[in-house]
Amino acid sequence: MEAATSTPALKAKDYKSDINPIWCPGCGDFGVLAAMSKAAAYLQLPKERLAMVSGIGCSSRLPAYIDSYGFHGIHGRSLAIAAGLKAARPDLTVVVSGGDGDGFSIGGNHFLHACRRNMDLTYIVMDNEVYGMTKGQASPTTQPDWTRSKLTPRGTGVRRFQPTALALAAGASFIARGFTGDPSDLTRLIVQAIQHPGFAFLHVLSPCQTYQPEQKDWKHLVHPNAAEATDDPVEAARRIQMDDGMSLGLLYAQELPSWQPPHLSSATLPEIEAEFQL
Amino acid sequence: MSNHQPASIATIPEFLAHALELEYESAERYRELAGNLAVHNNPEIAELFDYLSRMSDLHAQEVEARAQGIVLPQIPPWDFKWAAGGSPEANAAAQDDDLNYLMTPIQALHLALHNEIRGRDFYAQVAAGSPDAEVRQLAAEMVEEENEHAALLEDRLAKIDPTRAEPVEDLDPPNMPE
Repeated sequence: MEAATSTPALKAKDYKSDINPIWCPGCGDFGVLAAMSKAAAYLQLPKERLAMVSGIGCSSRLPAYIDSYGFHGIHGRSLAIAAGLKAARPDLTVVVSGGDGDGFSIGGNHFLHACRRNMDLTYIVMDNEVYGMTKGQASPTTQPDWTRSKLTPRGTGVRRFQPTALALAAGASFIARGFTGDPSDLTRLIVQAIQHPGFAFLHVLSPCQTYQPEQKDWKHLVHPNAAEATDDPVEAARRIQMDDGMSLGLLYAQELPSWQPPHLSSATLPEIEAEFQL
Repeated sequence: MSNHQPASIATIPEFLAHALELEYESAERYRELAGNLAVHNNPEIAELFDYLSRMSDLHAQEVEARAQGIVLPQIPPWDFKWAAGGSPEANAAAQDDDLNYLMTPIQALHLALHNEIRGRDFYAQVAAGSPDAEVRQLAAEMVEEENEHAALLEDRLAKIDPTRAEPVEDLDPPNMPE
């Protein structure tokens, strides 16, 4: 991969806003903020052509901390908002972010159809296996025997949602996993995801120090993928079924038809405004 | 985890590019922590991290002065030859287990000391293994500088009341599981 320019005009810190993150100190999401700002600097993305879209949750605060256009949306609807934006403005780089609860529970249906539609979006899910912003309830990726919440004193007893398997089955054309404790490789994956011409799903292991303190051990458990990325969905499915959930890197990438509305509206802004006049 | 070989740094421009990135990332991470601890109403530690970020800014300026007139290579973020995980003095998550909103000056200084030692170890690996003699010599000078930074932090640690090692108890913590 070649550097974008010989003398980058914008540095990573230039892509950070002047708003201080309110995440807990030590939150893994800081790693995504660092990697996202480095990826934007590497690609020299014009700020006015970068749109960060999110839902609700700790990780969905990311758009506020990136100095670009942003849309802090509603719970589970980040992909719907992003799809609409991309349909209207295909020239924009649209990066969607959120957590496991936002993306796989209330937003689960949007996730499936965003994969299937394969619009040119990057979807970063910061998975900490818990609803953190609402003070620690089980999410779709929580271990079934996790008993720390009063809502699930005996655990959920339900098998975990398998994000990469679902993404592949639903038609995502780029599937990768990163870890916030390895910001260098996470930056590379975000760059690859943005450059991919289609729906790029990036599953990021992002420890929650507050409600899942055991996740501090993830840095000892993660490991690189055993093999190079494949463009064969059958081989990708086989690898996902053998995956322990801690393997890192690009798993699957294939160029598939990307949906984009064939005709943009020809109406001007005043004409649209006139339609809404009472 | 990404893992490169610092000892394979073979030219002065490549070495200075690494030294600059190390200090820039250190300053940025401390600035981020300062803002974060200020948000979490721990002004004492916010001020300490702010001080550390200014120190890293000064160190970056020293490296910039050394690099005056030298064309530095543009290295993709993932191709820096850090030994493990990321920039030695700014690993965003993996090394910050003690970070919490109640953290004490002793914990914060231990974190900073840990970072300085990681930085020193990076330079020591270059000083021991680079194929270029000039790079080895410059890296050895940086090892000494990092040792001086570590000694300053140790001095500061020694002056803090040791009873402040543990955070005070928060009787109404904001993050109780529900």
